[in-house]
Amino acid sequence: MATTDTTPAPKAAGVPERVVYRGTRPGPIELVAEGFRDIWSRRRLARYLVQADLKKKGSDTLLGNIWWVLDPLLQMVVYVVFVSILTRSSKPDYPLFIFAAILPWKWFASSVNDATGSVVSQERIIKQVHFPKIVLPLASTVSGIVNFAFGLIPLFALLLFLYRDRASPTALLIPVIALPQFVFTLAFSIFVAGLNVFYRDVGNLLRHLLRLWFYLSPALYSADQLAHLSESHPQVAHLLALNPFSIIFESYHAIIYDDVLPDWGGLAGLLLVSCVLLALAILFFKRVEPAFAKVL
Amino acid sequence: MSTARADPYAIDVRGLGVQYSLRLTRKTTMHQSFIRVLRRHEGPTHFWALRDVSFRVVHGESLAVIGPNGAGKSTLLQVLAGIIMPSEGIIDVRGQVSSLLTLGAGFDQELSGRDNILLAGAFLGIDHREMEERLEGIIEFADIGQFIDAAIKTYSAGMRARLGFSIATAVDPDVLLLDEVLGTGDQAFRAKSQVRIRELIKAAKGIVLVTHDMNWVTQFCNKAMLLERGHIVAEGDPADVVRIHQERSERARLEKAASVAALAG
Repeated sequence: MATTDTTPAPKAAGVPERVVYRGTRPGPIELVAEGFRDIWSRRRLARYLVQADLKKKGSDTLLGNIWWVLDPLLQMVVYVVFVSILTRSSKPDYPLFIFAAILPWKWFASSVNDATGSVVSQERIIKQVHFPKIVLPLASTVSGIVNFAFGLIPLFALLLFLYRDRASPTALLIPVIALPQFVFTLAFSIFVAGLNVFYRDVGNLLRHLLRLWFYLSPALYSADQLAHLSESHPQVAHLLALNPFSIIFESYHAIIYDDVLPDWGGLAGLLLVSCVLLALAILFFKRVEPAFAKVL
Repeated sequence: MSTARADPYAIDVRGLGVQYSLRLTRKTTMHQSFIRVLRRHEGPTHFWALRDVSFRVVHGESLAVIGPNGAGKSTLLQVLAGIIMPSEGIIDVRGQVSSLLTLGAGFDQELSGRDNILLAGAFLGIDHREMEERLEGIIEFADIGQFIDAAIKTYSAGMRARLGFSIATAVDPDVLLLDEVLGTGDQAFRAKSQVRIRELIKAAKGIVLVTHDMNWVTQFCNKAMLLERGHIVAEGDPADVVRIHQERSERARLEKAASVAALAG
């Protein structure tokens, strides 16, 4: 192609050879399939975005990436102090119990927080280059995994040095619980990233909503501690059962703290529901995506 | 490629219209959209940035789009690049499209120049292996020395512009969309970039160039189109269209001056 002495320039991959627009709107199934194709064809872009995010997060602090290890530990200390003041009798080995829930929650909350602004913060490039915007919330969710993985270092340190009698092979099941959590987080992130383009209040609202969500989930307490509540208010029990983080936290508690197998049925159900939610979130995102360049 | 040769055009646009909603614009909050729902029928809710725009760019043609500010020139490029969906009409762009809209748009201030080149390539959808092969050439053309491994935030404006230009022109597209990119950097780099633009224009099958520089229009384009308020006013030989544009903007200026004078009087 090039008529110059330089080597031929690369051709864009994943960019259609031909752009034809005839005003027809693709159906919902087609849109969801397109969303998955977008993700697959631009996995390299997602990877670069994750690497960039991780580089930045560590670069401007004195301790750098050590914060990924310290952060959940300090948060654990805060909750232990807080709960010990509020209630006299806490569970045995309570720090470990809390830590098993803080770690996955930090992944979820930081992914959702980052994803909320992920599209809006790339305003300039969205107006200049045509690319699938769905990789932006995807990258936020994936870089949360790396954070989560670093948090496993202090977790295993706790198990091996402080709570050796609670260390058991069941803790190796963490990835099995992390999978449905990832799918759920991705669905939620894609949805809020799309919504935030149109309503910038989403971020403000989410900060409080996430905090409330955490306290309403069995993270700092176990579900059976709410037994008295569900006896008097059965509706509340139903509501709590709908919370995906009931299953997620109980499963992490089971394999890390109680050293028993998790509720497989509950996890399978969560995975199924999360996949449906992911399809719906992608559908929503693909529907509103064409408007991004105009609204931003 | 054989189909492209059989068909003589690179871009075919028929009855294009792009409508903007005034209800959902920049930084709406729930509060604002709630108020708008209450006052549903007050004021205009939409405006057309482009309407009834039809044109064709055949192979070997380079089309200059000129017109006053707010005529819809940039919107037209965004539609051709696939960034904005048209509200009505048919668009057919044949071949690989590259848009040199504002340069360095996707730069991440915290990352090094090298990382930013790879990131930009990924945004543009260029295969990463080819991008890595092309890396040294891009760095050399941008001519920013050892700064290439420093964060972009330490770059001067000129260095940023040079790097942006160098990345954006690393692809040889079939259809090239240019938006006012021609006056970047210092004198030496401007000369170098003009050579590169000439090469790209020679290699591409069709070019659409948006500019305010009338010299570029007559120098590089063999066809011109005058847009005003989203409509095509004139189309044809660059020299003719430039003349019409200059006459019309002169008249508009005089009319404005006259109305100001009338108000003052």
